[in-house]
Amino acid sequence: MNIFGDVLKELGKMFVADLRLTLATLLSVLLVALLMHQGWVDAAIAGLLLTLLCIAVLAEAVLREVKQRKHR
Amino acid sequence: MFPAISATFLASIVEVVEAFTIVLAVGTTRGWKPAIVGTAAALGVLALVVLILGPTLQFIPIHYLQLFVGVLLLIFGMGWLRKAVLRSAGVLPMHDETAAFAKETAGLQSQSGAPKTLQWIAGIAAFKAVLLEGLEVVFIVIAIGAGKGLLWEASLGALAACILVLGVGAFIHKPLARVPENTLKFGVGVMLSAFGVFWAGEGLGVEWPGADLMLIVLTAIFLVAGMLLVRIAGNNFRKVAA
Repeated sequence: MNIFGDVLKELGKMFVADLRLTLATLLSVLLVALLMHQGWVDAAIAGLLLTLLCIAVLAEAVLREVKQRKHR
Repeated sequence: MFPAISATFLASIVEVVEAFTIVLAVGTTRGWKPAIVGTAAALGVLALVVLILGPTLQFIPIHYLQLFVGVLLLIFGMGWLRKAVLRSAGVLPMHDETAAFAKETAGLQSQSGAPKTLQWIAGIAAFKAVLLEGLEVVFIVIAIGAGKGLLWEASLGALAACILVLGVGAFIHKPLARVPENTLKFGVGVMLSAFGVFWAGEGLGVEWPGADLMLIVLTAIFLVAGMLLVRIAGNNFRKVAA
Protein backbone atom coordinates (compact mmCIF):
# COMPACT_ATOMS: atom_id res chain seq x y z
CA MET A 1 0.00 0.00 0.00
CA ASN A 2 1.55 3.26 -1.09
CA ILE A 3 -0.04 5.67 1.37
CA PHE A 4 1.96 8.69 0.24
CA GLY A 5 0.96 8.09 -3.40
CA ASP A 6 -2.67 7.72 -2.37
CA VAL A 7 -2.51 10.98 -0.42
CA LEU A 8 -1.13 12.79 -3.49
CA LYS A 9 -3.82 11.20 -5.68
CA GLU A 10 -6.54 12.31 -3.23
CA LEU A 11 -5.15 15.86 -3.16
CA GLY A 12 -5.16 15.92 -6.96
CA LYS A 13 -8.74 14.63 -7.04
CA MET A 14 -9.81 17.37 -4.63
CA PHE A 15 -8.89 20.15 -7.03
CA VAL A 16 -8.84 18.61 -10.50
CA ALA A 17 -11.64 16.05 -10.43
CA ASP A 18 -12.92 17.96 -13.47
CA LEU A 19 -9.96 19.60 -15.21
CA ARG A 20 -12.12 21.89 -17.36
CA LEU A 21 -14.01 23.17 -14.33
CA THR A 22 -10.72 23.91 -12.55
CA LEU A 23 -9.20 25.69 -15.56
CA ALA A 24 -12.38 27.64 -16.30
CA THR A 25 -12.59 28.80 -12.67
CA LEU A 26 -8.97 29.95 -12.73
CA LEU A 27 -9.55 31.73 -16.04
CA SER A 28 -12.64 33.48 -14.64
CA VAL A 29 -10.66 34.83 -11.68
CA LEU A 30 -7.83 35.88 -14.01
CA LEU A 31 -10.25 37.61 -16.37
CA VAL A 32 -11.88 39.60 -13.56
CA ALA A 33 -8.43 40.50 -12.19
CA LEU A 34 -7.36 41.71 -15.64
CA LEU A 35 -10.53 43.74 -16.22
CA MET A 36 -10.14 45.37 -12.80
CA HIS A 37 -6.45 46.04 -13.33
CA GLN A 38 -7.13 47.73 -16.67
CA GLY A 39 -9.87 49.80 -15.09
CA TRP A 40 -12.51 48.44 -17.49
CA VAL A 41 -14.66 47.13 -14.66
CA ASP A 42 -15.63 48.93 -11.48
CA ALA A 43 -14.63 47.23 -8.17
CA ALA A 44 -18.32 46.83 -7.23
CA ILE A 45 -19.34 45.34 -10.61
CA ALA A 46 -16.36 42.96 -10.58
CA GLY A 47 -17.91 40.93 -7.75
CA LEU A 48 -21.13 40.44 -9.71
CA LEU A 49 -19.16 39.49 -12.82
CA LEU A 50 -17.07 36.93 -10.88
CA THR A 51 -20.24 35.39 -9.39
CA LEU A 52 -21.94 35.13 -12.80
CA LEU A 53 -18.85 33.63 -14.41
CA CYS A 54 -18.63 30.99 -11.67
CA ILE A 55 -22.31 30.06 -12.08
CA ALA A 56 -21.74 29.76 -15.84
CA VAL A 57 -18.69 27.53 -15.25
CA LEU A 58 -20.72 25.32 -12.89
CA ALA A 59 -23.62 25.07 -15.35
CA GLU A 60 -21.27 24.15 -18.20
CA ALA A 61 -19.60 21.44 -16.08
CA VAL A 62 -22.97 19.92 -15.07
CA LEU A 63 -24.49 20.00 -18.56
CA ARG A 64 -21.31 18.63 -20.16
CA GLU A 65 -21.42 15.63 -17.78
CA VAL A 66 -25.11 15.08 -18.60
CA LYS A 67 -24.29 15.10 -22.30
CA GLN A 68 -21.42 12.64 -21.86
CA ARG A 69 -23.52 10.27 -19.72
CA LYS A 70 -26.37 10.37 -22.25
CA HIS A 71 -24.12 9.05 -24.98
CA ARG A 72 -22.76 6.13 -22.91
CA MET B 1 -18.26 32.79 12.77
CA PHE B 2 -21.47 30.71 12.43
CA PRO B 3 -21.07 30.03 8.67
CA ALA B 4 -17.45 28.93 9.20
CA ILE B 5 -18.35 26.48 11.96
CA SER B 6 -21.41 25.12 10.16
CA ALA B 7 -19.48 24.63 6.90
CA THR B 8 -16.74 22.62 8.60
CA PHE B 9 -19.28 20.73 10.73
CA LEU B 10 -21.42 19.66 7.76
CA ALA B 11 -18.44 18.87 5.50
CA SER B 12 -16.91 16.79 8.28
CA ILE B 13 -20.10 14.77 8.73
CA VAL B 14 -19.95 13.74 5.05
CA GLU B 15 -16.32 12.66 5.26
CA VAL B 16 -16.44 11.07 8.72
CA VAL B 17 -19.46 8.96 7.72
CA GLU B 18 -17.44 7.56 4.78
CA ALA B 19 -14.37 6.92 6.95
CA PHE B 20 -16.50 5.35 9.68
CA THR B 21 -17.86 2.75 7.22
CA ILE B 22 -14.34 1.46 6.56
CA VAL B 23 -13.31 1.62 10.22
CA LEU B 24 -16.46 -0.34 11.10
CA ALA B 25 -15.60 -2.97 8.46
CA VAL B 26 -12.09 -3.26 9.94
CA GLY B 27 -13.45 -3.48 13.49
CA THR B 28 -16.06 -6.12 12.79
CA THR B 29 -13.75 -8.21 10.58
CA ARG B 30 -10.38 -8.04 12.35
CA GLY B 31 -11.20 -6.72 15.84
CA TRP B 32 -11.38 -3.24 17.33
CA LYS B 33 -7.70 -2.88 18.27
CA PRO B 34 -6.37 -2.28 14.71
CA ALA B 35 -9.45 -0.15 13.90
CA ILE B 36 -8.92 2.13 16.89
CA VAL B 37 -5.12 2.32 16.58
CA GLY B 38 -5.31 3.08 12.82
CA THR B 39 -8.00 5.73 13.36
CA ALA B 40 -6.17 7.40 16.25
CA ALA B 41 -2.88 7.50 14.29
CA ALA B 42 -4.58 9.10 11.26
CA LEU B 43 -6.41 11.66 13.43
CA GLY B 44 -3.06 12.50 15.02
CA VAL B 45 -1.45 13.10 11.60
CA LEU B 46 -4.40 15.25 10.49
CA ALA B 47 -4.33 17.31 13.69
CA LEU B 48 -0.59 17.84 13.21
CA VAL B 49 -1.16 19.12 9.66
CA VAL B 50 -3.75 21.64 10.93
CA LEU B 51 -1.49 22.74 13.79
CA ILE B 52 1.49 23.29 11.48
CA LEU B 53 -0.18 24.66 8.33
CA GLY B 54 -2.90 26.76 9.98
CA PRO B 55 -0.72 29.23 11.91
CA THR B 56 1.91 29.29 9.12
CA LEU B 57 -0.64 30.68 6.64
CA GLN B 58 -1.25 33.65 8.92
CA PHE B 59 2.17 35.05 7.96
CA ILE B 60 0.97 35.55 4.35
CA PRO B 61 -0.44 39.06 3.67
CA ILE B 62 -4.24 38.91 4.03
CA HIS B 63 -5.10 39.93 0.42
CA TYR B 64 -2.84 37.26 -1.11
CA LEU B 65 -4.08 34.71 1.40
CA GLN B 66 -7.74 35.50 0.68
CA LEU B 67 -7.15 35.28 -3.06
CA PHE B 68 -5.26 31.97 -2.77
CA VAL B 69 -7.68 30.40 -0.30
CA GLY B 70 -10.69 31.85 -2.15
CA VAL B 71 -9.67 30.33 -5.48
CA LEU B 72 -8.97 26.93 -3.88
CA LEU B 73 -12.30 27.00 -2.00
CA LEU B 74 -14.07 27.99 -5.19
CA ILE B 75 -12.59 25.10 -7.18
CA PHE B 76 -13.19 22.64 -4.35
CA GLY B 77 -16.69 23.90 -3.51
CA MET B 78 -17.87 23.95 -7.12
CA GLY B 79 -16.49 20.41 -7.51
CA TRP B 80 -18.66 19.23 -4.61
CA LEU B 81 -21.66 21.18 -5.87
CA ARG B 82 -21.28 19.75 -9.38
CA LYS B 83 -21.21 16.20 -8.03
CA ALA B 84 -24.15 16.80 -5.67
CA VAL B 85 -26.22 18.36 -8.48
CA LEU B 86 -25.48 15.41 -10.79
CA ARG B 87 -26.43 12.92 -8.06
CA SER B 88 -29.63 14.78 -7.16
CA ALA B 89 -30.58 14.89 -10.85
CA GLY B 90 -30.09 11.12 -11.13
CA VAL B 91 -27.20 11.45 -13.58
CA LEU B 92 -24.67 9.93 -11.14
CA PRO B 93 -25.54 7.18 -8.65
CA MET B 94 -25.78 8.09 -4.95
CA HIS B 95 -22.99 7.03 -2.63
CA ASP B 96 -24.08 3.81 -0.89
CA GLU B 97 -22.55 3.25 2.56
CA THR B 98 -24.01 -0.26 2.89
CA ALA B 99 -22.40 -1.30 -0.40
CA ALA B 100 -19.09 0.35 0.61
CA PHE B 101 -19.19 -1.57 3.92
CA ALA B 102 -19.87 -4.88 2.15
CA LYS B 103 -17.06 -4.26 -0.35
CA GLU B 104 -14.53 -3.36 2.36
CA THR B 105 -15.55 -6.32 4.52
CA ALA B 106 -15.24 -8.72 1.56
CA GLY B 107 -11.81 -7.28 0.73
CA LEU B 108 -10.59 -7.79 4.29
CA GLN B 109 -12.03 -11.31 4.52
CA SER B 110 -10.37 -12.37 1.27
CA GLN B 111 -6.89 -11.71 2.67
CA SER B 112 -4.87 -14.56 4.11
CA GLY B 113 -1.81 -14.74 6.35
CA ALA B 114 -0.77 -14.85 9.99
CA PRO B 115 -3.23 -13.22 12.42
CA LYS B 116 -0.71 -10.53 13.32
CA THR B 117 -0.14 -9.65 9.64
CA LEU B 118 -3.89 -9.49 9.02
CA GLN B 119 -4.34 -7.16 12.00
CA TRP B 120 -1.51 -4.97 10.72
CA ILE B 121 -3.10 -4.76 7.24
CA ALA B 122 -6.48 -3.96 8.81
CA GLY B 123 -4.92 -1.21 10.94
CA ILE B 124 -3.34 0.33 7.85
CA ALA B 125 -6.70 0.16 6.03
CA ALA B 126 -8.34 2.11 8.88
CA PHE B 127 -5.43 4.57 8.97
CA LYS B 128 -5.61 5.16 5.21
CA ALA B 129 -9.39 5.59 5.17
CA VAL B 130 -9.39 8.17 7.96
CA LEU B 131 -6.35 9.96 6.53
CA LEU B 132 -7.73 10.22 2.98
CA GLU B 133 -11.27 11.21 4.01
CA GLY B 134 -9.81 13.59 6.58
CA LEU B 135 -7.68 15.43 4.01
CA GLU B 136 -10.73 17.22 2.64
CA VAL B 137 -11.83 18.17 6.16
CA VAL B 138 -8.34 19.48 6.94
CA PHE B 139 -8.35 21.56 3.75
CA ILE B 140 -11.75 23.08 4.59
CA VAL B 141 -10.74 23.78 8.20
CA ILE B 142 -7.47 25.43 7.18
CA ALA B 143 -8.97 27.37 4.26
CA ILE B 144 -11.97 28.70 6.18
CA GLY B 145 -9.94 29.19 9.34
CA ALA B 146 -7.11 31.05 7.62
CA GLY B 147 -9.39 33.26 5.50
CA LYS B 148 -10.98 34.91 8.54
CA GLY B 149 -8.64 33.91 11.39
CA LEU B 150 -11.15 31.33 12.65
CA LEU B 151 -8.90 28.27 12.77
CA TRP B 152 -9.94 27.11 16.25
CA GLU B 153 -13.64 27.70 15.58
CA ALA B 154 -13.44 25.83 12.26
CA SER B 155 -11.54 22.96 13.97
CA LEU B 156 -14.22 22.85 16.64
CA GLY B 157 -16.89 22.35 13.96
CA ALA B 158 -14.93 19.41 12.51
CA LEU B 159 -14.28 17.90 15.94
CA ALA B 160 -17.97 18.15 16.88
CA ALA B 161 -18.88 16.27 13.67
CA CYS B 162 -16.30 13.55 14.47
CA ILE B 163 -17.68 13.07 17.98
CA LEU B 164 -21.29 13.03 16.75
CA VAL B 165 -20.71 10.53 13.91
CA LEU B 166 -18.44 8.23 15.94
CA GLY B 167 -20.83 8.36 18.90
CA VAL B 168 -23.89 7.51 16.79
CA GLY B 169 -21.87 4.90 14.85
CA ALA B 170 -20.61 3.22 18.00
CA PHE B 171 -24.17 3.12 19.33
CA ILE B 172 -25.92 1.65 16.29
CA HIS B 173 -22.94 -0.45 15.12
CA LYS B 174 -23.93 -0.28 11.45
CA PRO B 175 -22.87 1.85 8.44
CA LEU B 176 -24.61 5.22 8.68
CA ALA B 177 -26.52 4.70 5.45
CA ARG B 178 -29.41 6.99 6.43
CA VAL B 179 -27.33 10.14 6.71
CA PRO B 180 -28.47 12.37 3.80
CA GLU B 181 -24.91 12.58 2.45
CA ASN B 182 -25.79 14.14 -0.88
CA THR B 183 -27.96 16.85 0.68
CA LEU B 184 -25.11 17.70 3.04
CA LYS B 185 -22.65 17.69 0.14
CA PHE B 186 -24.95 20.01 -1.79
CA GLY B 187 -25.21 22.40 1.16
CA VAL B 188 -21.48 22.41 1.81
CA GLY B 189 -20.75 22.86 -1.91
CA VAL B 190 -23.05 25.92 -1.89
CA MET B 191 -21.39 27.38 1.22
CA LEU B 192 -17.82 26.77 0.06
CA SER B 193 -18.53 28.22 -3.39
CA ALA B 194 -19.98 31.34 -1.74
CA PHE B 195 -16.97 31.64 0.59
CA GLY B 196 -14.69 31.10 -2.40
CA VAL B 197 -16.23 33.84 -4.55
CA PHE B 198 -16.32 36.22 -1.59
CA TRP B 199 -12.68 35.76 -0.59
CA ALA B 200 -11.31 35.53 -4.12
CA GLY B 201 -13.18 38.80 -4.79
CA GLU B 202 -11.80 40.43 -1.64
CA GLY B 203 -8.31 39.29 -2.62
CA LEU B 204 -8.77 40.95 -6.02
CA GLY B 205 -9.99 44.18 -4.40
CA VAL B 206 -13.72 43.77 -5.08
CA GLU B 207 -15.90 46.05 -2.97
CA TRP B 208 -18.78 43.83 -1.84
CA PRO B 209 -21.91 45.82 -1.00
CA GLY B 210 -22.87 45.11 2.62
CA ALA B 211 -19.39 43.65 3.31
CA ASP B 212 -19.69 40.27 5.14
CA LEU B 213 -23.50 40.26 4.74
CA MET B 214 -22.89 39.65 1.03
CA LEU B 215 -21.96 36.07 1.98
CA ILE B 216 -25.66 35.40 2.62
CA VAL B 217 -26.60 36.75 -0.80
CA LEU B 218 -23.86 34.71 -2.50
CA THR B 219 -25.00 31.57 -0.65
CA ALA B 220 -28.58 32.20 -1.83
CA ILE B 221 -27.39 32.71 -5.43
CA PHE B 222 -25.42 29.42 -5.46
CA LEU B 223 -28.30 27.60 -3.76
CA VAL B 224 -30.85 28.75 -6.36
CA ALA B 225 -28.41 28.07 -9.21
CA GLY B 226 -27.72 24.57 -7.85
CA MET B 227 -31.43 23.77 -7.50
CA LEU B 228 -32.17 25.05 -11.00
CA LEU B 229 -29.33 22.97 -12.38
CA VAL B 230 -30.72 19.84 -10.68
CA ARG B 231 -34.02 20.39 -12.55
CA ILE B 232 -32.40 21.20 -15.89
CA ALA B 233 -29.90 18.34 -15.69
CA GLY B 234 -32.58 15.87 -14.57
CA ASN B 235 -34.99 16.83 -17.35
CA ASN B 236 -32.23 16.77 -19.92
CA PHE B 237 -30.96 13.36 -18.80
CA ARG B 238 -34.39 11.74 -18.65
CA LYS B 239 -35.41 13.12 -22.03
CA VAL B 240 -32.87 10.98 -23.83
CA ALA B 241 -32.95 8.06 -21.41
CA ALA B 242 -36.74 7.69 -22.02
